[in-house]
Amino acid sequence: MASSENKKARITAAGGMAAITAAAAQVAHAQHTGKIRIGLLGCGGRGNGALRQCLEADPGVEVIALADLFESQVRKTRDGIARDGKFKDRVKIDDDHMFWGFDCHEKIARCEADLLLMATAPAFRGQQMLAAVKAGKHIFTEKPVATDPAGCRQVMEASRIAKEKGLAIVCGTQRRHELGRVELMKRIHDGAIGELVGGQCYWYGGGIWYRGYVQGMSEMEWQCHNWYHFTWLSGDQICEQHIHNIDVMNWCFDGPPVKFTAVGGRGWRNHEAQAKDVCAKLNNGSTEGWEKYAGDIWDHVFAELEYPNGARCLSFSGHSPSNFDSNGEKIVGSKGTSNCRSSITGENAWRYTGPNVDGMRQEHIDLIQSIRKGEPLNEGQRIAESTLTAIGARMAAYTGRTFSWNWLLNASKLDLVPKDIKPGPGLFHPIATGRDALI
Amino acid sequence: MGQRKKLTRRDLLKNSAVAAGTLALAGPVGNWAYAQGSDTIRVGVIGCGGRGTGAAHDCFNSSKGVEIVALADAFGDRLGGLKNHFKVPDNRCFTGLDGYKQLLALDDINMVILATPPGFRPQQLKAAVDAGKNIFMEKPVATCPAGIKMVLEASAKAREKGLAIVCGTQRRHEPRYVETMKRIHDGAIGEIVSAQCYWNQGGLWVNRRQPGQADVDWQIRNWLYFTWISGDHIVEQHVHNIDVINWAFKDVQPEQVRGQGGRQWRTGPEYGNIFDHFGVEFFYPGDVRTISMCRQIDGTTTNVSERVVGTKGTSDCAGRIDGENAWRYEGPNPNPYVEEHKNLIASIRSGEPLNEGERIANSTLCAIMGRESAYARQQFKRDWFLARCTLNYLPPEDMKLGDSHEVGPVPVPGKYKLPTA
Repeated sequence: MASSENKKARITAAGGMAAITAAAAQVAHAQHTGKIRIGLLGCGGRGNGALRQCLEADPGVEVIALADLFESQVRKTRDGIARDGKFKDRVKIDDDHMFWGFDCHEKIARCEADLLLMATAPAFRGQQMLAAVKAGKHIFTEKPVATDPAGCRQVMEASRIAKEKGLAIVCGTQRRHELGRVELMKRIHDGAIGELVGGQCYWYGGGIWYRGYVQGMSEMEWQCHNWYHFTWLSGDQICEQHIHNIDVMNWCFDGPPVKFTAVGGRGWRNHEAQAKDVCAKLNNGSTEGWEKYAGDIWDHVFAELEYPNGARCLSFSGHSPSNFDSNGEKIVGSKGTSNCRSSITGENAWRYTGPNVDGMRQEHIDLIQSIRKGEPLNEGQRIAESTLTAIGARMAAYTGRTFSWNWLLNASKLDLVPKDIKPGPGLFHPIATGRDALI
Repeated sequence: MGQRKKLTRRDLLKNSAVAAGTLALAGPVGNWAYAQGSDTIRVGVIGCGGRGTGAAHDCFNSSKGVEIVALADAFGDRLGGLKNHFKVPDNRCFTGLDGYKQLLALDDINMVILATPPGFRPQQLKAAVDAGKNIFMEKPVATCPAGIKMVLEASAKAREKGLAIVCGTQRRHEPRYVETMKRIHDGAIGEIVSAQCYWNQGGLWVNRRQPGQADVDWQIRNWLYFTWISGDHIVEQHVHNIDVINWAFKDVQPEQVRGQGGRQWRTGPEYGNIFDHFGVEFFYPGDVRTISMCRQIDGTTTNVSERVVGTKGTSDCAGRIDGENAWRYEGPNPNPYVEEHKNLIASIRSGEPLNEGERIANSTLCAIMGRESAYARQQFKRDWFLARCTLNYLPPEDMKLGDSHEVGPVPVPGKYKLPTA
């Protein structure tokens, strides 16, 4: 008893604006009588998935708002979720809570949702997260959270504000919420494989969708619709997809690398027919200059990430036909190795035998529980660091230059995302050369 | 079996004497290091470009009693430097793609330097062994598995005949490497669990095609940029570093390979059909995975080095061990390009000829595997590759200057197929 009173006293004594703000924020949520109202920003496939996973995570979750660049996506999403018997009575999206257009993230941030799920193209996440935390929203965000260092810094700032305000940020790097991996990482951090001296992570796949032109879209809208193919929008495959595995490496080392070296290129991606079609539709039938519509992302990057203790780890990613069986990770220690998923070999061999959960559901359960308990999870800084790790590897490959984490975090001026984006001309960059200027 | 008998100086002299009488009938037997009763090393240089010229001087300077006595090169204009310097008479200078055959037919030569582009090495090595010459050959030693097999056979034959083969992977003759490797092999860094090697640099020379120049002439003049003749830069250059990693593993070979690469900056037709970057992962026994990275793009960060990581420490393979058994090499650092010739000639003279043929064939094969894995985006096992890959870039025996010779396009994943049987 005495100790619990002491603790209370200490909290009170802590005084300060931050403590008061945090307390106020939690009181505000308590007033929602068990309901947690959510809004979805980004109504594509992943957004719809996240929406369902969040609703399934807790019976007190209600969806009240939707936002997307495109009206059609918003309407389709509402119709779909409303028809789903599983969520009967928990879909309460009024017509005036449906937002679209390039400023939809500002509008949804102003609605009365407690929690925003973010699943648009990664380029916009920094400004979306800043707007959300300033408006006092909890956040679930898909990965990655930026496409350039400037965007990562915005997320770090949003994360800082969220901490001050007692807001949760959970990110869709679901491996961090898989019970087996969590148990495994505890052991690795406790030294089960000794000092970490090497590692590998991979995501090499067969390719990705290409979205053609849809009647009525401006060039910029089409580009955002087909976002994966443009580095400023997606961050390239290493950032958009391979970040999962890079994040696991960072998890092993409990932080980002200190140095980046990489090679890579684009030798296989070829969307000539599709790009010409888009070109013709946007340019009165002319296919002249179609190349830019084929996108600017690469199809392979081979990167070395050097961690603070000198360990050099491989990041191997790309898209093309191949027989590579490679999506995963391996970590190598002085006393053993691990597949980063379920087992340890070596002196302290171990295998996870506990229950398995779907990380993509569990992350929402963990998020909602943390909000309810008043101990909000905040993964913002961590996912900003992992995103910046992937971006750093990409920049090392694009430029052919080796550089440090400190330079990347503090000195890189790369800022790819336009501030005042609106329907109209698109934003096209040449395909990186392997010796681009390091910005 | 007992094939590797130690040849004494007396044996060598005896063999020479016997052979001298039967050469026309039986061909040479035994080591010709002391042909004609002298211990002069009489060297013919095959391939008189930059590397061949360098190697000839290094060889000459490495030991007493070395003479450069014959030259061959595809192109007459490449002979001048060595010809003038060593006063090699016209009748001992040979040109054309079969000039090397004429050089090898000279009885008084007991050693050759093979420094033509690597695509020619297997056949020239085979011919040199058949002709009973000791050999210094530049790396790499082939550009395809068919060439590797030829080199392995020739090396075995050289062993039988007591002929020396030393290869221009000079790190193997560099004391700081040699001393470091001894310690690594003795367990100074524990068991090896990870390794990296790099050859990241800017661009190299390029010879653009001249008006009217035939395929073969241009490809040889510009040989770096054609896979059939250079092996691509992962083979041509990065083999040095791959060889060091193999060395660290006591020349146990990787079991499997997975690579990627491409051509992003160096895209002009003058750069033939090779890539400008590779990233390859080699899998050594016990699932020990290593990084191999190489790049030739101007203006990028340079790094040519190796690193091995053990359970008890790390090493740069070149004079430095960190960890439990930290150590620094503090001995002399003689010029390794001279050292390799010194060791070669000493081995011939001592009757214990070095034979590095198999070792460099294996390291060259690793580099070729990395290249093909990247070209095809195909992960495969070494055993499978050796048994099944039918890729054969060996030039036809009758190839000559002026010939037409088509080369394949720059490999594109999904289109490039590894030829297999």
